[in-house]
Amino acid sequence: MKKKVSPLYRVAVVIFLVLTVGPFVWAFSISVTPEYEMFKNTMNMFPSEITWDNYLTLFDSISQQHIRLFRGLENSLKAVACTLVIGIPVAAVTAYTLSRMEFRGKKIIKNAILITMVIPVFATIIPLYRMFSAMELLNSTFWLSMVYASSFLPMSIWLMSNYFSTIPRELEEAALVDGCGRLRTFFRIILPVSYPIICASMLIMFLSAWSQFQIPLILASNIDTKPAAIVASEFMTKDTVLYGITAAAGMLIILPPAIAALVFRKLLVRGMTGGSIKG
Amino acid sequence: MKKKLVSMLLCAAMAATLTAGCGSDSSGESGEKSSSSGESKEITFMAPDWANPGDELLAEFTEETGISVIFNEVSWDDIRDKVSIAASGGEAAADVIEVDWSWVGEMNSAGWLEPIEMTDEDKEDMPTLETFTIDGEILAVPYANDYRIAYYNKEHFEQAGITEVPETWDEVYDALKKIKEAGIVEYPYTMPMNADESATTSMMWMAFSRSGQVFNDDDTLNEEAVMDALTFENQLVQDGFVDPASISFNGMDCYRKITSGEASFMVGPTKFVGISNDPEQCSEIGNIVPILLPGTDGTSPQTMALPEAVGITSFSENKEAAQEFVKWYSSADVQKRMYAVNSSIPTRNSVLAEMVEDGTFENAGAMLDEADLIKSVFPNGVPSYYSEMSNTMYNNINQMVLGEQTPQEAFDAMNAKVNELIEKK
Amino acid sequence: MGVLVFYPTIMTFSYSLKEMKLTSPEDTDFVGLSNYVDVLTSDSFMYSLQNTLFLLGVVVILTTVLGFGVALLLNVDTKISGLLMALAVLPWALPPIVNGIIWRFIFHPGYGFMNKLLIRLHFIEEPIMWLTDRWLLLLIVAIVVAWRSIPFCAIVCLSGLHAIPEELYEAAKIDGGGRVTVFRYITAPLMMPFIGIGITSASITAINIFDEIVALAGYKDLGKNLLIESYLTTFSFLDFGKGSALTYLIMLMAAVLGFFYLRSLNREVEF
Repeated sequence: MKKKVSPLYRVAVVIFLVLTVGPFVWAFSISVTPEYEMFKNTMNMFPSEITWDNYLTLFDSISQQHIRLFRGLENSLKAVACTLVIGIPVAAVTAYTLSRMEFRGKKIIKNAILITMVIPVFATIIPLYRMFSAMELLNSTFWLSMVYASSFLPMSIWLMSNYFSTIPRELEEAALVDGCGRLRTFFRIILPVSYPIICASMLIMFLSAWSQFQIPLILASNIDTKPAAIVASEFMTKDTVLYGITAAAGMLIILPPAIAALVFRKLLVRGMTGGSIKG
Repeated sequence: MKKKLVSMLLCAAMAATLTAGCGSDSSGESGEKSSSSGESKEITFMAPDWANPGDELLAEFTEETGISVIFNEVSWDDIRDKVSIAASGGEAAADVIEVDWSWVGEMNSAGWLEPIEMTDEDKEDMPTLETFTIDGEILAVPYANDYRIAYYNKEHFEQAGITEVPETWDEVYDALKKIKEAGIVEYPYTMPMNADESATTSMMWMAFSRSGQVFNDDDTLNEEAVMDALTFENQLVQDGFVDPASISFNGMDCYRKITSGEASFMVGPTKFVGISNDPEQCSEIGNIVPILLPGTDGTSPQTMALPEAVGITSFSENKEAAQEFVKWYSSADVQKRMYAVNSSIPTRNSVLAEMVEDGTFENAGAMLDEADLIKSVFPNGVPSYYSEMSNTMYNNINQMVLGEQTPQEAFDAMNAKVNELIEKK
Repeated sequence: MGVLVFYPTIMTFSYSLKEMKLTSPEDTDFVGLSNYVDVLTSDSFMYSLQNTLFLLGVVVILTTVLGFGVALLLNVDTKISGLLMALAVLPWALPPIVNGIIWRFIFHPGYGFMNKLLIRLHFIEEPIMWLTDRWLLLLIVAIVVAWRSIPFCAIVCLSGLHAIPEELYEAAKIDGGGRVTVFRYITAPLMMPFIGIGITSASITAINIFDEIVALAGYKDLGKNLLIESYLTTFSFLDFGKGSALTYLIMLMAAVLGFFYLRSLNREVEF
C-alpha cells in the first residue's frame, strides 16, 4: 500500500539522511584532505584541494600500509567465515532443541546461555589468554573464531528459537508421521523455511565478529591473524597520527560489512518477525 | 522451490567458507607450533613497526649466527597489555620485547627482565643506557633515541625584532610576548597538556630544565622545582600564548603546530629535526631551528631522554640467542642502517655524530650538543609505580590548565599520590 | 562454550579474591573480599560509576526513542524506503573503534566539523572545547554510541511493526479509532516486547562502552567509565586482583540488567 508522502515524512527523511550519512561524508572528506591542510585553523568546510594519495597508498600493492591493511581485511574475513561456519550450525541445532524438545533443566540451560550475553570481555580475557598460551592456541584464526562464536551464540540461539517457535508444529508432525526422524525433519522441514532467520543471524554474527578489537588484540595480534580494525588503530598510535590515511582505511574497513548488511537487510526484518508471517 | 534453492545456496556457501576460511589457517597453526619448539635456534621479537629492522637486515643476522628472528609487530600501546598478561602466567610473550623507558621500573620489580651484559665502551657511547639501569644491572638496551630539544621559528622571531637565539626561559617568555603582541602568530607557544602521558613528561622536562631536578633523592617530589614548573606552565596558558584548543590535543598534534607555522617555539621530540625538513609534513622549511633547551641562567645543562629499548624476558627459553640478537641489534652498524629503514634516531652518540657529519641529518642545529646533556630525571631509576604516578600527574596538570585547579592544588594532589605510592612500596 | 566462557569467568573471580599486583610478584595472598572493599570505597570508583550510569541513561533513551522513530520512518512504504533501509543499517557495520575515530574528526576542537559548522553559521565565535567538560564529553560519547546502536534497535522495532497483523488496524479503523488511539492501544502495547529487547541490548552496549571513549578522550579521568577504570587498574597499574574485582562489579551490574532482559526475552511473542 503506497501512501501519499506527507511533508512530515519529508522532513523526517532529510533529518535522518543528514544524521546517518553526514559522518561518513565528513570522514570521506578527511580522507581526501592533504595532511598539511588538516592542521590549519581554516574555516573552509571542505579541502581546497583534493588528494587521492591516501587511497593510492592503500591500493599501492608494494606499500607497507597496503600490505598491512589488506592482510588485516583478509584476516577479518577469515575469522568471520570461520565464526559463521562454527556458530550458525551450533546455534541452529541448540535453538531447535530448546524450542521444540522438552527435558529437565531446559529452562536453566536456556537462562544460562542467555545470561552470558552480559559478560564483559575483560571478565574472561586474562584466563583465556593463559589457557590459550598453555595449549598453544594463540594466533590461530580457528580458535579465535571459537571464542567469537561462543560469545555470539546466545544472541543467535535466542533469535532462532523465537523464530522456530513461530513455525506451526503441524508441519513437523506431518513429517514425523511420514517416518522422518527428528534429524531429518529438522533438515527437510525446519531449515528450508528458516532461511530468513539464518541469514539474519549470519549477518549479526558477521557484524559482531567484524567489530572485535579487544579479543583479537590479546589472543591473536600476529600479523597473520590480526583483524583490520586493529590495523586501522595502528595508523594512529603513540607517535604517528596520520588522520588522512586512518580515515581512508576506515572507509575501506566498513565496506565489507556494509555490503553484507545491504544484501541481507530485507531478510533481517523478516527473520526477526517470525516464521508464521509471510514476508 | 525458491526457498529450497536459497537454502541450498546457503549450504554451498557454508561449505565454501569452511574450506576457504578454516582450511587455510591450519597451515598457520602448524607454523606456530614449529616456532615454539626450541630446537632450531629461533627467537621471537615483539615490538612496534618502527623497531622492525626489515627482512634484509634480519636475513643477514640469520646468516651470521644461524638464529632466525620472527618479528611480531604489535602497536606500542598494546605491547604492555600482552607482556603483562603473558607474564602473569609465567609465560614469555616473546623472547625479545620492546621496553619503553617508562616501563622499566615496573618490569624490573615484576621480575620480567633478564639483565644484559654490555661493555664499558658501550655504556660510554649510549648515555640513555642509564635510564635502563637499575641497581647496576642493565635491563634493556635503547635502540631509538628521543630526547627533548628546543625548536624555534627563526623567521617569526626575526619579524618580532629578535635576532638572538633565546637561551633562558625568561628570554623565551619575552620573545613569545613580542611575537603575540606583534600579531605574527596568535599562539606562539605549544606544549602537550592534554591528560595523557605527554603532559607528565612535559612537566618533568620543564622542571628539569628550569631547576635541574624533579625528584628528591628519596623519590619524593621536589616541591620547589615542580611548583615552579607548574606555575610557569599555567602562566603561559593564562597569558594566551598557548592555543586553548590544544589542551585536548594529543602530543603529536601539539608538536605539529610548529611545523605548520602556527607556533614559534616549542620543546619537543628529536625526530622533529627530520620532520621540519620534510616538505610533505612541514610548511616552514628552513625556518625551524633546533636549539639547546633553555634554562634559568643560560641554556639548560641537562635534558631528559625518552628512549625506547629492547629487553629479554626472563621467561624466555632462548636467552642466549636473545642476548646475541640484542647485541647485534644495538651495534653501531645496525643502528646506522636502521635509520635508513625506519628513521629511528641512533642511541649511540658516535653514530649520531657520524650521521650529522655525513649530512644524513640536515639542519641538525643543536641536536648533537644536546645529546651530550642527557641525564636521567629519576635519582633511583624509573620507579615501579611510574604509570600510576603519571596518571595522577597528567590528570591534575590538565585540570590546572583548564583553570579548575591552582598550581598549588595540582601539586598537592600529585604530592599526596607520590607519597602514598612510596609508602605502599 | 563452557570452557571458553564459564571457566574463564570463574578464574577471574578467583583472581579478584587474591592480592595480585604484578609489580610485587611474591605477594599473592588470598585476601577474601578486601579487593572489593577497596574498590567500592574509592572515590575514583564512584566517579566512574556516575559516568557509567549517565552514559547508560542517555544511550538507552536515545537509542530506543530514535530507534523507534527510525522504525516508524522505515515502515512507511514509499519509493525510497528500500534505499533508506539500506542507509539505516550502515552505522551498525562500524567497528566501535572506527566509529570513535570518525566522530573524533567531527568533534576535534581545532579542525573538527562541528566547530567549523557552528562558526560558519555564526552561532559561536570561538571554537567550543567539546572534550574538556565532563558532562559535555559524556553526552558526546553517548550520542556517538547511540548512533551506532540505533540501527539494531530500529530493525527490532521494525520487525515488531511488521508482526502486528494488518487486521488489527483495520478492525480499529472500522471501530472509528483515530491515529493516536490506534497508536496508544494497538501499536504501543504490542510493541512492548520488542522495545524491551531494544532497551536491554542498548543497556548492555552502554555498560560495555570502551573504544569510543578511548578514541575520543583517551584514558583520562574526565570521561572514564567503569570499564576504563578496570582497564587502567589491570593493565596500566598492573593490579590484576583489583582489576578483576572491578570487572566482576561491572558484570554484576550487567547481570541485574540482564535479568530484565531475560524476563522480556522469555515472554513469548504471541498475538
